[in-house]
Amino acid sequence: MGNNPSSLGGPPGEPGKDDKDKKKDKPKYEQPPPPTTRIGRKKRKAAGPNASTKLPQIYPSSRCKLKYLRMQRVHDHLLLEEEYVENQERIRKAKARNDMTPQTAGGDSDALDRNADERGKVDDMRGSPMGVGNLEEMIDDDHAIVSSATGPEYYVSIMSFVDKDLLEPGASILLHHKSVSVVGVLTDDADPLVSVMKLDKAPTESYADIGGLENQIQEVREAVELPLLHPELYEEMGIKPPKGVILYGGPGTGKTLLAKAVANQTSATFLRIVGSELIQKYLGDGPRLVRQIFQVAAEHSPSIVFIDEIDAIGTKRYESTSGGEREVQRTMLELLNQLDGFDDRGDVKVILATNKIDTLDPALIRPGRIDRKILFENPDQNTKRKIFNLHTSKMSLSDDVELEEFISQKDDLSGADIKAICSEAGLMALRERRMRVQMSDFRSARDRVMKTKTEEKIEGLYL
Amino acid sequence: MAQENGAPSAAEKGKGKAGEAKPDKKEDEIKFDKDGKLIPNRKKGEEPEEEELSEEDQNLKTELEMLVSRLKEPDTSLYIPALNAIKDSIKTSTSSMTAVPKPLKFLRPHYDDLCQIYEQWPSGKEKDSFADVLSVLGMTQGNEEKLDTLKFRLAVPPSQDLGSWGHEYVRHLALEIGQDYQKRLTDDEDVDDLVNLTRSLVPYFLSHNAEADAVDIMSEIEIIQEIPKYLDENTYGRVCLYMVSMVNLLTYPEDQQFLHTAHDIYKQYNKLPQATVLAIRLNDIDLIRKDFDSTEDVSMKRQMAMLVARQQIWLPIEDIEDDKLQECLSNEKLPDHFKSLAKELNLLEPKMPEDIYKSHLESTRTAGLTNVDSARHNLASAFVNAFTNAGFGHDKMLLDVGEGDKTSWIFKTKDDGQFSTTASLGMLLRWDIENGLEQIDKYSYSDDTQIKAGALLATGLLNSAVRSDTEPAMALLATEENLNNENVQVRVASIIGLGMACAGTNKEDLFELLHPIVEDTSLDMQISAMAALSLGFIFVGSSDDRVSQAIISTLLDEDRQKQLKDKWTRFMSLGLALLFFGRQEEVEVILETLKVIDHPMAKPAGVLAEVCAYAGTGTVLKLQELLHLCNDHIEGDADEKKGDELIQTYAVLGLSLIAMGEEVGQEMVLRQFGHLMHYGEANIRKAVPLAMGLISPSNPQMKVYDTLSRYSHDNDNDVAINAIFAMGLLGAGTNNARLAQLLRQLASYYHRDQNSLFMVRIAQGLLHMGKGTMSISPFHTDRQIISRVAAAGLLTVLVSMIDAKQFILAEHHYLLYMIITAMHPRFLVTLDEELKPLQVNVRVGQAVDVVGQAGRPKTITGWQTQSTPVLLAYGERAELEDEQYISLASNLEGLVILRKNPAWEEG
Repeated sequence: MGNNPSSLGGPPGEPGKDDKDKKKDKPKYEQPPPPTTRIGRKKRKAAGPNASTKLPQIYPSSRCKLKYLRMQRVHDHLLLEEEYVENQERIRKAKARNDMTPQTAGGDSDALDRNADERGKVDDMRGSPMGVGNLEEMIDDDHAIVSSATGPEYYVSIMSFVDKDLLEPGASILLHHKSVSVVGVLTDDADPLVSVMKLDKAPTESYADIGGLENQIQEVREAVELPLLHPELYEEMGIKPPKGVILYGGPGTGKTLLAKAVANQTSATFLRIVGSELIQKYLGDGPRLVRQIFQVAAEHSPSIVFIDEIDAIGTKRYESTSGGEREVQRTMLELLNQLDGFDDRGDVKVILATNKIDTLDPALIRPGRIDRKILFENPDQNTKRKIFNLHTSKMSLSDDVELEEFISQKDDLSGADIKAICSEAGLMALRERRMRVQMSDFRSARDRVMKTKTEEKIEGLYL
Repeated sequence: MAQENGAPSAAEKGKGKAGEAKPDKKEDEIKFDKDGKLIPNRKKGEEPEEEELSEEDQNLKTELEMLVSRLKEPDTSLYIPALNAIKDSIKTSTSSMTAVPKPLKFLRPHYDDLCQIYEQWPSGKEKDSFADVLSVLGMTQGNEEKLDTLKFRLAVPPSQDLGSWGHEYVRHLALEIGQDYQKRLTDDEDVDDLVNLTRSLVPYFLSHNAEADAVDIMSEIEIIQEIPKYLDENTYGRVCLYMVSMVNLLTYPEDQQFLHTAHDIYKQYNKLPQATVLAIRLNDIDLIRKDFDSTEDVSMKRQMAMLVARQQIWLPIEDIEDDKLQECLSNEKLPDHFKSLAKELNLLEPKMPEDIYKSHLESTRTAGLTNVDSARHNLASAFVNAFTNAGFGHDKMLLDVGEGDKTSWIFKTKDDGQFSTTASLGMLLRWDIENGLEQIDKYSYSDDTQIKAGALLATGLLNSAVRSDTEPAMALLATEENLNNENVQVRVASIIGLGMACAGTNKEDLFELLHPIVEDTSLDMQISAMAALSLGFIFVGSSDDRVSQAIISTLLDEDRQKQLKDKWTRFMSLGLALLFFGRQEEVEVILETLKVIDHPMAKPAGVLAEVCAYAGTGTVLKLQELLHLCNDHIEGDADEKKGDELIQTYAVLGLSLIAMGEEVGQEMVLRQFGHLMHYGEANIRKAVPLAMGLISPSNPQMKVYDTLSRYSHDNDNDVAINAIFAMGLLGAGTNNARLAQLLRQLASYYHRDQNSLFMVRIAQGLLHMGKGTMSISPFHTDRQIISRVAAAGLLTVLVSMIDAKQFILAEHHYLLYMIITAMHPRFLVTLDEELKPLQVNVRVGQAVDVVGQAGRPKTITGWQTQSTPVLLAYGERAELEDEQYISLASNLEGLVILRKNPAWEEG
């Protein structure tokens, strides 16, 4: 229906019909009393015909025949609807064709042409470039007050081909570059930043690329993926699934890697954000971003929100005079609210990652928000072996390489260190133009890595 | 070693490949039940990553392999220990819910071998034991076609303890049983072994909090009637709840079976009120009677009598010694309880129409313009007054005005207006047989036939839903003088009055009185049609042969043919339709007969009969038929068109009549209305608002009234008027403030359009019905039972609203009073065993659907504690605050008898 108005000068016989439809959508009261028009009023979220498009909630959520029957009932009704609408559309088209045949024989391609033609005309009228502005207020059916980003407000006319159902105060609209009249509506309110965070391409890392961490993987799966896939398991037990998890542990222990693997495996929408992204230049932008992220997540649910380096905004609150600090704290407060606030977010799970869990605000990780804390430790021997195998599997090693030597050493190696050793060894081999990596390469690589590691600590001493 | 296993996965790190190279990880994510399909992919991958296993796992694996190889050896003495060892390791293994238990994982590659060995073994104890193991292993194969689990399970004598293999296994088995049963049914094979196996599964389900599974498998195997013997005190409640909530969604024979079974269970556990509710749903008078007679407990009997009376079934019980029981059965005390409620809630003060209109809140522009057509305005006020003060027995316009005749509001209206105004007395004095009749009496001797007729109708209205030994309605209305009066108005009034007063009674005498009027072709269609309608009310849902014959024969009569075009014919067919209310396929006979009649009005009658027969069932097939009827855009000459248009209009009403009562369908059909409004012609469009009103009467859902308020500005005045009326229905008796505001806006918007304004006033009256103490929802007792009488009343009003300009907005506004059968106080009054009002504290809150939920969830949410009597809105439920009293009724709704809890200790 929304596109109907664009069929300017369509086949005769149609306009009348369209007219009626339009009236149904948005009553235009041309009759005596004053035009108390409804378009342009702020619409309540669940009002109008859109409210009825929502499907009823199906209870119980456990697996049983009752649920199946109820779902089937919904399905049947939807089929009925489809059938009815299809029939009506067919009848309408047949009627339109009957009316049309006298004038132009062989209607279809013609109609297509005309459609394209009209579309072209509309595009011409819109012109380019179009300005983006905000709708401030509707004056009557054809006029409105708009504001553009540059500041001034204008009283402008609304083009007839704009879908007026979508117009509401605060909507983003397209404005003609010269006459500033409204030529279109931008429907998606969410900040473009948010859509960037939505992960379209899955990362290549899968669970198979994680050495060890079996327990952690299982915990994450149970807390994040399982509630999305099989909510009925929790329902049957009569408990609420956890809202999310926090991954913590020293640097290089694989927190981000695990999140990547989750993103790789899951079919849910995956939003990834780094804590620092939430710190914005203007007041109120950070919290707004948080809100929008969760709104997008709820729209695309089931979804998983991954916030890396949460300590960027999630540090303990304290008295602060700096506006910047306070803004950061406000951003966190918004996050708190989104995690366990007034509205139920439904199928949105949150994964946080940090390596400084002790600096986080206790409110953030209290039960009911993120109460599942998953510790990532430096690998033990077995895991080390797995990690070594993982990284060396792609390398061409010479026969004398005996990785057990490194594995059995009592060095405090993290996953990242092991990776560094392997690539360092590869570099060494490259430097000497060898095609294979030798044991000696590994040894010196290890020394280097260990040295940089200890150096960091020594420098710390002098500070 | 590193190269060996790493090489393939290093090349590409895609999802699938990586998974295959490292199946050990992937294994972790295999779900038991669903993802079986994934497993076969991994067979090949088993070998290369052996070294990935932890030490324990490795041990387990070698041990299991050793056991398997032992089974392959010829030494039979080792078999049993080996099998036992395997069983042990399966049973004791625990793991996370995301993973397949390790033993099963390790045994899986050997499954095919084991199957082969199994085939070779001689039958005996070892083989049975082996089959046991294989049955469990079969679960991991994920080959849904083979039904291995079941195959091996059936190979074993069924006495085994199945539960020890775990819940997941039993569920899987139940699934396979269901599949196999269907397969065998189509192949016409023997199913006894399946049935036996099912019987052994059911106790396990029931004892493990999985009532739903038990019911599901039994209904799948079609032995649901056996379930009572597996139940006990703890499980029967949940089982019944689950079964009852499934009924709406099942098809014909099965739903009856479910109701019967649940009824028997309730009866077995002496939950007679619940059993009676189901008996009422089954529409089985004998069963109700049996339940009634099965107890000697006087209070319980009284409680059941109240339930039966609420449904307005008149049980043919003669020799009742207990006066009080008679009282309960006849609703005699209803006015007293209602008035005590009014007193508690401080509602005794009568309200004037102006209190309802609140015209000072309407926009000022209208002031001074409103009373253009003052008689019309006064009539509207009379209706509003009637609805608002209904049942209270006091008002400021008719009753409490003293003897000075001319001050009564009756004389402020004209002609037919006086008729309706006088009739409103019946509404005001409803139920009050003792005092009310006197007050009406003085009008019935009036010289003015309009007033006289009004008084007759008032008598009928007063008696609706109550019964008295003296049968005043019969005595006053069913006289020769009234029924054969030469004045049409008087006759119609008496006929309708009888219909209202005796709705649902199935009274023989009335049939004798009324059927001549129906069949007499010399009479005006209006009179005959009203007689047919009254018969419809009196015999509603009885599918009484003689009545249907009487109506059919008059429709078939040659002399009638020319009258069939009359606008009143629709009430004749409505009368016929009401007879079959809720009777489902029993209506087919009539439909066939109606096909014979060669008249455009015959088909609409058929549609009407059909929708009535399936009312409240939610049957999707019927909905589909109705939608097909709505498909065509009718063209043709006026006469033919009229009939066809009526078909579509009825079909739209039918959509909601059928869908009501079943929650999912109820919501879904609202979506359908949007489409109908979009594509439909005028005849469909004007019925849509009415249908929306019908589907949620007294239940002001925002999404519905929002749409309606939009329609109330439609260019087509018929649609607008119907939408306004529907808004009234939607909010009837709720005092909903938002609706009141919307209606006020409409009043100022339509201040110049008399018809619309009249309708706005009516809607306002409906909204404040009984000062907000009434409901017109035909569903009661926790929305389980549909009251046929109430639904009939609603439907009649809606049918007359289809062409409002010919009936309600013309001189037949009295048809609005038909809604009285649907009006019932939405109160909860608690009584002690002596039937004296008892004040206790109850929690009132939004009802929650607890079917199939784990544990003992709360049945209400967001409650407030109040002391009885209280009002219950749509979808609200009450529960007792403490355990001092035990409620004898199944739901705290309407009149409830409380018994002292013997175990209660004060303090």
